[in-house]
Amino acid sequence: MALLSQEIAEHVEQELADLAGPVRMVVFTQEVECEFCAETRQLVEEIAQLSDKLTAEVYDFVADKEKAEELGVDKIPAIAIIGQEDYRVRFYGIPSGYEFASLLHAIRTVAAGKPELSEETLKALAEMTVPVHMQVFVTPTCPYCPTSVVLAHQMAIASPLVRADMVEAMEFPQLAIKYQVMGVPRTVINETTYIEGAAPEHTVLEKLQEALKQA
Amino acid sequence: MKEQADQVYDLVILGGGPAGLTAAVYAGRAARSTLVLTGPLPGGQVATTQMVENFPGFPEGISGMELAQRMQAQAGHFGARMVVEPVTGVDLTHAPFTVQTHCDTYRSRTVIIATGAVPRRLGVPGEARFFGRGVSTCATCDGFFYKGKRVVVVGGGDSALDEGLFLTRFAREVVVVHRRDQLRAARVYQERAFANPKMRFVWDSVVEEILGEQTVSGVRVRNVKTGEAAVIEANGVFVYVGMTPGSRLFAGQVELDEQGYVVTDRRQHTSRPGIFAAGDVQSPDFRQVVVAAASGAMAALEADRFLADEVDR
Repeated sequence: MALLSQEIAEHVEQELADLAGPVRMVVFTQEVECEFCAETRQLVEEIAQLSDKLTAEVYDFVADKEKAEELGVDKIPAIAIIGQEDYRVRFYGIPSGYEFASLLHAIRTVAAGKPELSEETLKALAEMTVPVHMQVFVTPTCPYCPTSVVLAHQMAIASPLVRADMVEAMEFPQLAIKYQVMGVPRTVINETTYIEGAAPEHTVLEKLQEALKQA
Repeated sequence: MKEQADQVYDLVILGGGPAGLTAAVYAGRAARSTLVLTGPLPGGQVATTQMVENFPGFPEGISGMELAQRMQAQAGHFGARMVVEPVTGVDLTHAPFTVQTHCDTYRSRTVIIATGAVPRRLGVPGEARFFGRGVSTCATCDGFFYKGKRVVVVGGGDSALDEGLFLTRFAREVVVVHRRDQLRAARVYQERAFANPKMRFVWDSVVEEILGEQTVSGVRVRNVKTGEAAVIEANGVFVYVGMTPGSRLFAGQVELDEQGYVVTDRRQHTSRPGIFAAGDVQSPDFRQVVVAAASGAMAALEADRFLADEVDR
């Protein structure tokens, strides 16, 4: 059974019709697939059919440990969205529900390699010297969450020092507990700084700078 | 994308909910250059609604997000440009009117204010401190985190019951705290709520404080009839005590009523020529997608007429 209905597949095909460059969707699953691992892999494979610029690559988290380490993948299911270069854009857990929009957005932006951020943000990111890890916790039923995910991914595309993950809280309850996630979106920056809710770009930038001061 | 310094739009629409998007469809069809500043939640409040069962033309119902996306696609189809940015400032005192976002300044001959309404907060101790850590206004977003726990829902309207019913999928018990002895919600919600064994009601009571150390441990309520205080133990508090209009930026530039709603006439004109308003920001009376859409259409038709009368000549 296909995950994407005919109607949705056509819509996605249109959305991805003018990709600016090739994009690889690298999926990590395992031999005996967890429920969401199987669905994540299938989702990526189905999307890859909808554009000749897209390819799906499937790896085994255990057997292909080196590949996982190379891409910084530490849990599954995982998708790395890679364009001309690896912009450190990751999805942990299945990007379904509202997060499907984040996935399509990531594919389009990675294809172009050009983040849609203000000049002020781009300048601040360019001046950074310390690595930043942004983890955006979401649920698939959260309409506010894609705003935060897209923003974090844009920042990763803009700066080689930023890596940005969507983390689906329901699939990684241990992380939700670790980071005290009781509401989404919740963005964790470098383990030290938190943003509640879908904050606008300049607020996220301020929090990022705050996190760097603590480093 | 940086804005062209000399670009002046025919119409800038503030807000990307049903009112703003319907206005964009009409303005686009009238071949007016149109920009929509959607804010952080494209589609507006309806995008957070699970199922819209009362929008004509969708007999099986339609998810709020899908309805919003279809409206966006329709607006885009007729040429409206959409920018996902919140408005940070406006100058509506003289034409061309200017609208600022954090990144850009836009100029326009007419403006439609369709910024909607946002959930009202309780304004009690503990609420701000625990927001996002036990206090929420989005059950569909955060319900999962209360699996097997007890939660409090504050309010007695449609949203309180609809979201409360959603929470029963996860929570062990949903305690609805309401300030009156009967609900305001539509009959269909009331029947569903009373029939649900996980829902319990605390009548005639207001929340006075949200309690907890690191996370929420409960709420302190007071019975408005007896004055008696009590503590309800709970891990989460979902607040649905009505809405407040998103009109703060317009105060002093167009007339607002005591509650902050933008005052309009029957044709959606505000107190200032060339500035129109539509949707929940100008009326607390209905809060229906179809009503917002209708007022958006009227505002756009009037903006088009204004442009034809005042500007095109």
